[in-house]
Amino acid sequence: MKKLSTRWGSAFGCLVIGAGMMASASASELTVWCWDPDFNVPAMQDAAARYTKLHPDVKITVNNIAQNDIKQKLQTQLLANVTDGLPDIVLIQDDNAQRFLQGFPAAFEPLSDAIDLKKFAPYKVAAATYNGKSYSVPFDSGVTGLFYRSDYLAAAGYKPADLQDITWDQLIKIGKDVKAKTGHDFFDLDFNEAGLVRAMMQSAGKWFFTADGQLDIIDNAPLKAALETYSKLWKADIVKPVSGWSAYTGAFTSGDVAAVASGAWMTGTIKGSPDQSGKWGVAPLPKLDGIEGATHYSNWGGSSWYVFSSSKQKTTATDFLNTVWAGDIDFYQGILINQGAVGSLLAAREGAAYKASDPFFGGAPVWENFSNWLGQIPSVDYGTFTQEVNSAIQAQLPSIAKGGSVDEALKAINDRVSQQIQ
Amino acid sequence: MRSKIAHGEQINGWLFVMPALALLGIFLVYPILWSLWISLQVGKGSNLHFGGFANILRLFGDKVFLHALTNTCVFFVVQVPIMILLALVFAVMLNDAKLWGRGIFRTAIFLPCVTSLVAYSALFRSMFESDGVVNNGLMALHLIAEPIQWLTDPFWAKVMIILAITWRWTGYNMIFYLAALQNIDQSIYEAARIDGIPARARFFRLTIPLLKPVILFTSIISTIGTLQLFDEVNNITQGGPGDATLTLSLYIYNLTFQFMPSFGYSATVSYVIVVLVAILSFLQFLIARDKK
Amino acid sequence: MTGTSKITRYAIVYSVLSAATFVSIFPFYWMIVGATNTSAEIVKGKTSFGGNLLANIERLLEQVDLGRVFLNSAGLAVAGTLLTLLVSSLAGYGFEMFRSRIRERIFALLLLLLSVPFAALMVPLFIMVSSAGLANTFVAVVLPSIASIFIIFYFRQATKAFPGELRDAARIDGLREWQIFLHVYMPAMRSTYAAATIIVFMMSWNNFLWPLIVLQTPEHKTITLVISALTSAYTPDFGVILVATILATLPTLVLFFVLQRQFVAGMLGSVK
Repeated sequence: MKKLSTRWGSAFGCLVIGAGMMASASASELTVWCWDPDFNVPAMQDAAARYTKLHPDVKITVNNIAQNDIKQKLQTQLLANVTDGLPDIVLIQDDNAQRFLQGFPAAFEPLSDAIDLKKFAPYKVAAATYNGKSYSVPFDSGVTGLFYRSDYLAAAGYKPADLQDITWDQLIKIGKDVKAKTGHDFFDLDFNEAGLVRAMMQSAGKWFFTADGQLDIIDNAPLKAALETYSKLWKADIVKPVSGWSAYTGAFTSGDVAAVASGAWMTGTIKGSPDQSGKWGVAPLPKLDGIEGATHYSNWGGSSWYVFSSSKQKTTATDFLNTVWAGDIDFYQGILINQGAVGSLLAAREGAAYKASDPFFGGAPVWENFSNWLGQIPSVDYGTFTQEVNSAIQAQLPSIAKGGSVDEALKAINDRVSQQIQ
Repeated sequence: MRSKIAHGEQINGWLFVMPALALLGIFLVYPILWSLWISLQVGKGSNLHFGGFANILRLFGDKVFLHALTNTCVFFVVQVPIMILLALVFAVMLNDAKLWGRGIFRTAIFLPCVTSLVAYSALFRSMFESDGVVNNGLMALHLIAEPIQWLTDPFWAKVMIILAITWRWTGYNMIFYLAALQNIDQSIYEAARIDGIPARARFFRLTIPLLKPVILFTSIISTIGTLQLFDEVNNITQGGPGDATLTLSLYIYNLTFQFMPSFGYSATVSYVIVVLVAILSFLQFLIARDKK
Repeated sequence: MTGTSKITRYAIVYSVLSAATFVSIFPFYWMIVGATNTSAEIVKGKTSFGGNLLANIERLLEQVDLGRVFLNSAGLAVAGTLLTLLVSSLAGYGFEMFRSRIRERIFALLLLLLSVPFAALMVPLFIMVSSAGLANTFVAVVLPSIASIFIIFYFRQATKAFPGELRDAARIDGLREWQIFLHVYMPAMRSTYAAATIIVFMMSWNNFLWPLIVLQTPEHKTITLVISALTSAYTPDFGVILVATILATLPTLVLFFVLQRQFVAGMLGSVK
């Protein structure tokens, strides 16, 4: 028996050592988890190459894992309180951040002491601030814009100037004209995506919660206005219903619908159809009608880099983020050109790439516009329960689209979320 | 002597099942007990503390849970009988030795279940787009006048999920029935035919009773599968539109990974599935026994 | 039975089966066509073959170390299948051949255990595996699936058809119980094993959630994890995804065709 157990012990030991070697290796090796092989991954690889050129002793591995898969891996390991499988740096979407920061308070390393976060767009920093400390180096901005087919609008008699400084009601009228003239729906929308509603709400400086973190749904005027606008879009019969990301992007990249309101990261997708060069324009988001504090600037998506406090290399990791992501203006020009990634480092907009005009969008300086809008996005506190509210809103979208009462929808959302966050 | 043999039998019996029972004990029973303990905990993220039956009480006020439960029951009540009936019909048709090409038909109908869940979900999603190949086909055949909104209409989304599961699993069940049918003595059928019993009556009065054990087995396995329905709804509809295809398993997943993690409560919802399976399996056993 | 009614009957049978065959096969055709088109064409629902197959394959190879990924998936599936077949068939045989009241009770309980959703067990399992120092190892992926309740059930059913005379004869020849299992039972049940091979291989090849949680480094990625990562892009490339999907489906398809004859025979045994 003893013999058996030692044999097992040594086999076991080999396994453990083997596993350990896989996991740690040399002293200055960083592992990064992020998603999207066309966007985040190459941007991070570019950053890594720049840093390893300065510090040849550091090796940075960028691992492409789907966003949902990252959430599953993080949550399982943090709940299990097992940290050796975690990377050094991870990408987290902004509206998810507070959930992790508050659910697992000790898991992430505060970065606000080591890195000057004032250099970044304030709303991005706010999203990762908890108990007075900020935990992330902001990456891409989801600064919103209205992307539209200028040729379709021209066919209906509209010029780019007609889309400047308008309200959603005015946009709906334009949309109806475009549909009457060209036969194309103006937007396409997916019931599983409430991003447009959130973007409209944030453009008026509001989120789902009060300043002290209480749920704020019933008397939330911007949210109500956003849902009413959503309802009007459907009532005007200018929306094509779609489901899933491919169908959603397919509708406007194939010329089926005339426009899409989205984050700046959508630029790459739109430019994926080079035959449509010169036929697109970008305008600021319309304003919500009759809402105090309504602006043309909002955010949709976007994510930031976090360092795990369990990381053995957290000093190196922080230095890496500080050197490249918080300092290298030239790096931001590269990822803007190559990936269409609009960073949140405010100084980056002084670079050459941001000043360039783009023939795809009829020669407009789209990046300069985006970065100007970026500085004006109202900061909101995304809170802990954004996913819960979001899912409750999604549950109401089909009935709102069919003309159901917005007040009843608000009440249903409020009831459902109050129950869930108790 | 006899008791020695019996004793040896006992030891051998345990020896054969021991490796499996040991592994099941470590990797199934122990985590189950652990998660039962977790299901009594309340709190967010890693801040858990004992809450007694608070999670069970929470179930009754949770509209989303009740909605997911209803959806799951709809899938179960509609899909399992359709699939089992279809599988039986195919199996009976293919059990005809004179049928030309039965090997090809059998292989073709079985083939869907070799696809991975991720792969077939992606395929179905693309086929059921509103201007996708399914709608185009139906319109070309003049079966429908305008595209069905498979993915964005709450009713049709449910229908599509049912179609998808049926596509993947009918052939799998059919193979079980086919195998069982081939074991039935053909002379029973001959006798029935000579007695002038029509084909439909032979199906209901002979085939189904003879296959009862297999039908019971497959329907319990299908019940468990349907009550744990997750991959299809997660990958094809994400539970939408508007929670129309939200199942219990998807809700558990959301509670664990999408929302502020409340692991105790999500474990509690998991045990609702276990209780449902226990009740339904028991009922199925009862029904199977009664008809004897 | 008259001639015409026989003809109508066959007409119905053939049209039903042809329809079922068409429905079953069409998505496979769709998958292959898609792999030859660009992402934009797939989204638009193009149903004819295109010329983009090589470009799609090339882009997949750029992003993924396919050899490594296949080796990982295959290694896991083969090891998982062999161990599952051994342990679960032993148990199925044991439950059927040596009856006792306690074991019957345990057997009945197993069915109920089958119904606990994996999501509820994931965190406890992960804690166990990590505290044993097995996180990020293939061993941790395989271990929890070796004793498969479903396969134990399947083998118990099949064992009912194993002729008792064979076992008695072997006992008279003085074979021990494990020798009977190894030298008499296993060869006699070849087709049962073949059928179980297909089922277990499919399950472990397509396994997703547990490998995702346990395996951390890129060197350990399996094909299902790769497909999941590919679909995560803001602008997913469906041509590439479909090529990966075909590659992920091929091994199970090939295995099925190789073992098909034994598979049907094996299923036959299991329901006697």
